[in-house]
Order: sequence, then structure tokens, then C-alpha cells
Amino acid sequence: MVAQLLGLKLRLLGNSFRRSPWQVFGLIVGLSYGLGAAFVATLGLVILRDVDANIARNIVVVAGSLVILGFLFVPLVFGADDTVDPRKFTLFGIPNSRLALGLAAAAFVGVPAVVMTVIGAAQIVTWSRNTEALLVAILSAIVLVITCMLSSRVMTTMATLLLATRRAREATGLIALLVLGALSPLIAIMVTVDWEKRGLPVLHKIADIVAFTPLGAVWAAPAYAAVGDTSAMFSTMAIAIGFVLVLWVVWRVLVAAMMVTPERESRGRTYRGLGWFSYLPATPVGAVAARSLSYWGRDARYRSALVIVPIVPAVMIGALTVAGMPLNNLLLLPVPVMCFFLAWSTVHNDVAFDNTAIWMHVSSNISGRADRAGRVVPPLLLGLLVILVGTPLSAWGYGSADIVPSLLGVSLCVLLAGLGLSSIISAGFPYPAVHPGDSPFAQPQSSASGASWVQGLSLLGVLVVTAPTVYFAVLGILYGGGWHVASLLLGIGTGVVALVGGILLGGRVFDARGPELLSFTERY
Amino acid sequence: MMGGDRYGSPLLIGTVDFVETPDSILAKFDELIADLSSDSARDKRQTREVEFEAKREAERNAEVAAELENELEAESESSRAKPAYKREITPAIETETEGNLEVKPAITRVTPASKSKSKGKSKKAPEDHRESVLAVTGLTKRFGDTTAVDGIDLTVKAGTIFGIVGPNGAGKTTTLSMITGLLRPDSGTVVVHGHDVWANPALAKSFMGVLPDRLRLFDRLTGGQLLYYAGVLRGLPKWAVRERMWQLATALGFDEALGRLVADYSAGMMKKITLAAALIHSPRLLVLDEPFESVDPVSVASIVDILAKYVEAGGTVVLSSHSMDLIQRMCDSVAIIVGGEVLASGTVDEVRGQGSLEEKFIELAGGVTVSGGLEWLHSFSD
Repeated sequence: MVAQLLGLKLRLLGNSFRRSPWQVFGLIVGLSYGLGAAFVATLGLVILRDVDANIARNIVVVAGSLVILGFLFVPLVFGADDTVDPRKFTLFGIPNSRLALGLAAAAFVGVPAVVMTVIGAAQIVTWSRNTEALLVAILSAIVLVITCMLSSRVMTTMATLLLATRRAREATGLIALLVLGALSPLIAIMVTVDWEKRGLPVLHKIADIVAFTPLGAVWAAPAYAAVGDTSAMFSTMAIAIGFVLVLWVVWRVLVAAMMVTPERESRGRTYRGLGWFSYLPATPVGAVAARSLSYWGRDARYRSALVIVPIVPAVMIGALTVAGMPLNNLLLLPVPVMCFFLAWSTVHNDVAFDNTAIWMHVSSNISGRADRAGRVVPPLLLGLLVILVGTPLSAWGYGSADIVPSLLGVSLCVLLAGLGLSSIISAGFPYPAVHPGDSPFAQPQSSASGASWVQGLSLLGVLVVTAPTVYFAVLGILYGGGWHVASLLLGIGTGVVALVGGILLGGRVFDARGPELLSFTERY
Repeated sequence: MMGGDRYGSPLLIGTVDFVETPDSILAKFDELIADLSSDSARDKRQTREVEFEAKREAERNAEVAAELENELEAESESSRAKPAYKREITPAIETETEGNLEVKPAITRVTPASKSKSKGKSKKAPEDHRESVLAVTGLTKRFGDTTAVDGIDLTVKAGTIFGIVGPNGAGKTTTLSMITGLLRPDSGTVVVHGHDVWANPALAKSFMGVLPDRLRLFDRLTGGQLLYYAGVLRGLPKWAVRERMWQLATALGFDEALGRLVADYSAGMMKKITLAAALIHSPRLLVLDEPFESVDPVSVASIVDILAKYVEAGGTVVLSSHSMDLIQRMCDSVAIIVGGEVLASGTVDEVRGQGSLEEKFIELAGGVTVSGGLEWLHSFSD
């Protein structure tokens, strides 16, 4: 059984190279990324061999704990695609223990296992300072690889079991994003800690605590062996092995539970009335706009884009403050940056987001112009709201009301030009997107060529159209006076022209390519 | 908590509870029924319907006239005239006034179109003459090296149900996609009610209601929103969509699910709501790809009933299915497609000959080849 499941996993891995050249390319990029990370880690661990044992322990334990934490939580949050879901073996009637063992063994075939084995071997080098430490490090390496693989198996299965319903999946994704957003100030604080003076004591304290948790124990045991602290070595090793045993028991129980738990059905809630449709006119533009608004409110892919909007400028400001830029100038950034993300993040690939549902537009033959104009409505409304609320706040933070006209000009120009260009791009150059209903973080089922250059080119386009307005705004900041008003007028002018032109041109492309767009979405 | 006497009449408890907590949807439905039954409301509704249909017809005629003008202009400009195409357009405008040319005895009602409209009995005037509503010639589609559809010709007469059958992968869905304007053919023409689908898609598509197979719906909308969306995209006014939405949902038996997200629908319900979306603008031609797949028998019966009435009123249906029984029962004509080619076509009786349609189909599609090689299946492994 174990041999068969190992063979299956190997074949799955091998077959992933038999897809289209671009997919193989993506896989190779992923692989080299993993191996690169392993190489850097190995190099670091080898260098640490010549560092004081206590300092080496601090670094290895803290970094290592983060790695195990990653194996525990990445599958839970990102909903790893489980090719060997235990449920897929329900109908073969394999005894639970054998299946659990076989599937756990199969987890060792794959890039993560290879990377962890390399790192495990490298930390043996770190601790090859005396015989005891060497022996303990070898044991640690084995326990480490098992811990990581079992963690990811348990959490992946847990995710499929607990987050079976669409709503639960979407909720965790959003919560994870929010947590990430909340963490960004924490990271900024971490960055600002005076590491040169206080860094080592802080690290030491963290390592002291983490070493006796399941996350750090396996990394700490050889370190204690190296400094001759036998009792600490034994207790950390016991914690590490105990954790593996706990994981194994949980895994065994999970497999048994999965065998008798069919996929959960979700019970949808009932909505009243027609929602946005009743507030907007019964014309094609109104209907497409109402549909888009409903999607921005309900679809996890759009909602995650919405959640990212305020996070990006926060992170940007944090990073640039650390880099030493004056804060009051940085406060001018959030409104234009948020406008850009609203106008660009989902709209420039909106047709691919619809997937094959676009057939309704093709078969009813609505005009491309109406299709384009309707899709623009939600980000346009949100963007105007951001500008309305954000501009006074920004100007207040900056400390001068003179900046308001040019800030308005740049924000409006970014918003309108972004929407105009996105309207052309989504009809002309769609690329594979996450399917409706999939996790917003899931990789598109096939990463075809072109995605990155389409993104890059559209970004460049927005920059080019906005450049004159920004130039005038900068002149306004430097010399004041009429330049601010000029920036406002120019921004509105170029923005409106870009938006109207984008909708007209995008509409023509959509009219001409409707069936081809549908065929495109059918392929991916 | 409950008293013993109440246990004695569970039925009554149920009824009382039901009345005491009226579901909003049911209330709305009752309101609608009341609205329907009141005479004045009905009259008002009908006048609105008739006026609306007349307006739509007038708009379409204007469009046709404009198209014809363009056509004539183009003709006078270029020496390459297309008389055959033009001749097909002309009778289309005069449908309402022209007398019947080739009435088949099966159709007994020969009511002039204009009269039946003012009576408001049916939305569409019955077609007096069985002109072809769909004409497909030389339709071909290749995907790489494989030819999915290889020069298919089909003619579907108005007021009939036309069945397309074929084994899996025979090219049925590809053919229907090209007919409905969803997939561009490599060559060949599709003419719907006198208009080429690929030369003049706007007009040709407005005559068609489409139920495609295996395409997504905008499933983050509720059922009601999706139907409303379909209706508005087809150019219906608000009041018409609202009325038709409820009637279709009630007729197809998913009115209780109109408030739920389509993503939470079962496969059969999705079929039904797509069918409703195809019907909502009362098209002249319905193209349905596997409309009965995973639909329960009760709903199949009501769909068959709706389609029969629709055809009686002059509508035309083209559908594909794997249920030979159903095709044989409900269709007037049938085409058997195998390997991208039409192997047999004609009225159901012509095609099936002596046996049943299923026998003919299996004979044409390659026959049953269960012979040697599976003997081990007859001795069980345990």
C-alpha cells in the first residue's frame, strides 16, 4: 500500500511536467525558488557552525519555528490543493491505519520534503561540534522532516474538513488578509527596533521561550547538546518527539473521520428583492452595473481586492518611513494609490473573472460599450468616495490646504485613466484568473503566458497618462500658485478622455471578439 | 412543552403555524395571484403586453428595413450581389400580412396574425406557414487536427420541435454553439428567421433563446436577480421582467429558490433557471443543449408541456438530448449526428423506420460491441 501511494504521488509529480511549456516553466520557477531558499538556508546554517553556540541557537530556533509555523498555517489559510485527499480513497476499502501510513509517506514525495531534508542535513553541520551534538542533530533532522510533513498533511486535511463550505472558505481567506493587514504595523515596529544594540538580547529571550514549544524544540535539542545542557536537551527532544506523536494520532483520527464524512453541503441564506438591480435603471448598462456591484459585495475575489486597497498604502508608508522619507509628504500617497488599486486590481481582467458566464452577454448581444460602462461603475463609485473622504484628510495631514486641487487632479486622473485602460485590456488581453468560487489566493488553474506583461503594460499605460498631471502637481508643490489648479484641470481632462476613449475602444473590441472571449474562458 | 392534545392533530398545528408566519415570497406570490385574477389588472397587463410587443415588432421591422437598405446599398456599390440572401429577408418582414404558402395539414389554426394579437391570447402570432426558421448550411469547425463538426446542413421549420441526438463527443454542443452565435464557425452559414447569425448577430440573436451546456451562470446573483439580468439584457422593460420572472419560476417549480444564490442551486435547478432565462424574452427560436439533464421527472413533464404550448403558438425548438424515448415522443423531426456529420435526418417516423429511434440510433452510432474480453467480470473477486 505504502509503495503504491508513493508511486502515485511520484506519478502525479512527474505528470505535472507533462503540461504546456508555460506551466512547466512556472513549475520550474517554483522549484528553483524552493531550492534557492533551501540553498540560502543551508549556506546560513553552515556558516553558523563557526558562530558562538548560544547565538547560533537563538537564530536557528527563531527562524526554524517560523518554518514550522508556515507548514502549519499556510495550508489552512491558502487552502492548499490536495491531490491526495483521503476522501478520494474512500471507495477502495483500504484499512484506515494503512491508508494513514501510506498517505503520510506519500507526503514525503515533493518539493517541500526535499527542501526540509536539505535544511535538516544542513543543521547537522551547524551542530557538528561534538559527538553528542552530532548524534542529537541527526535525530533532530529526522524528527524535523516528519514534523513538517505531518503538520502540512494534518492542516490541509483539517482545512478541507472544516472549511468545506464555500462561505467558510471565503471567510478564512478574508480573515487571513485582515490579520496580515493588522500585522503590517507590527512588522514596521519590528523593523524599527534598534537591533544593533538590543537585538541579541531580544532574540535570546524569544528563543528561550520558543525552544520549549513544539515549534522550536526540535531545533533547540542539538543546540543544548552542543553547550552540554543535558537536561534541557532531553526535555526539548521529548517535546519534539511528543509533538510528532500527537500529530500522528490527530492524522490517524482525521483519516478515519474523512472516510465517513462526505463533502459538506452548504445551506445558502435567502436574499429579499432584487438588491442593486431595483435601484438602477433597467437598461443594459444599469443591469451590468448592478451585477458588478453585487459581485463586488459578494464574491470573495472582489472582496479580497477591496480589503487589500487600504493595506497597500499603509505598508508603503510604513516601509518608506523606515527608509527615512518625511512623513508629511508620504501622506499624499494613500489616496492616489488606493484609486489606482480600485481602478486596476480586478477591472483589468474582469472578463476572465466572469469565466464562461460571459456567454449571457454574447448570446444576448449587448453592446460592448454597455458591458464596459457597467463594469466601471462599482470601482468608480468607490474611488470617488475614497477621494471625497481621503483628500481633506491627506491635506490636513500634509499641513496645507493649497495641495487639495492637485491632489484631486492626480487622484481623479489615476482613477479615470486606470478604469479606461482596464476597460480596453479586459476585452483585448484577458489572462487566466481565479475561477468563481475558488479561493482568492488559489493560483489560476493554468498560468499561461502573457499575464505578467499585460499587467506590466497596463501599469505603464496608467503611469504615462498620469505623468503630466503628476508633473504639474510637483511644480505646484515646489512653486505653488496656479500649478495646482492646472494639475486639477489637466487631471480631470486627461482622465475623462481616457475613460470615455477606453470604454468606446474596449466596447468595439468586445463587440468584435465576444465569441473569442467566450472560447478563451472555456479553455481555462 | 407541547400539550398532549396538540400532539393529536399535528396537521392542524402545521397549518396554523404556516398561516401565522407567512413567508415573504409566498405573500408576494399571493399578491401576484390576486393581481392576476382581478379583471381590470389583467386587462391593463394585456394592453401593456400587446403594446410592448407591437413596439418591439415595429423596432425590429425598422431594424430589418435599415439592414435591407444597407444591403441594397452594398449591392449597388459592389458587383458581387447576393440575391439568395436578399430573397430570404424579404418574406421575413411580410410574415404578418402574407398568406400561407405551404400549410401542412397538421396545423389547423389559420388565424390572421394581426387578429390574434388584438385578442391577446398568445404573445406570438401563430405562424401560418411553415417557413424555415433555422437554416444551417455547410457548418464546419476544426480544433487543431480534429474536425469536430464537418459540413452539417440542417433546416428547421417554424412551429416544430427538432431533436439532435448523437453519442458523446459527436459535435452536438459545438454545432449548437455555432448556431447560437457563441462559437465562430470555420465555414458555413447559420440563418435564423432570415438573418445570418454571423453576418448580422444583433438581429439574429434577438430571435433566439439559448440554453447552453456546461457554461457557468453568474452564480453570485440570486435566482431572481439572474432572471432579471437576463431579461434586461434582452431589452425587456422592468415591469415585464418582474412579471415574467415570477410566472416562469412558478411554472418551472423553483419560485421558492428565487431568493437564494444560484451558486447554491443543484444541477437540475440550474438547468431550469437557465431555461427560464432563455424563455424570458419570448424568442421565436429556442436552442436548448441537454435541457433535461439531471432534471427531475416532474419538472421534465412541465418543461415538455411548456414547450408543447410554445410550439403550438408558433415557436420553434431545437434541442439535444440523450433520452431517445423523450425525443421520439416530443419531437417532430430529428437529426442523428455522429462524428460531426449528420447521418440521418427527417421526421421522427422517417428516421426511425420500423424500429424505435433508440434502435436506429445505436445502429448508426456504431452498434453494441460487447463481445469478448470481459469474462472475468462474471466471476466475482471476493
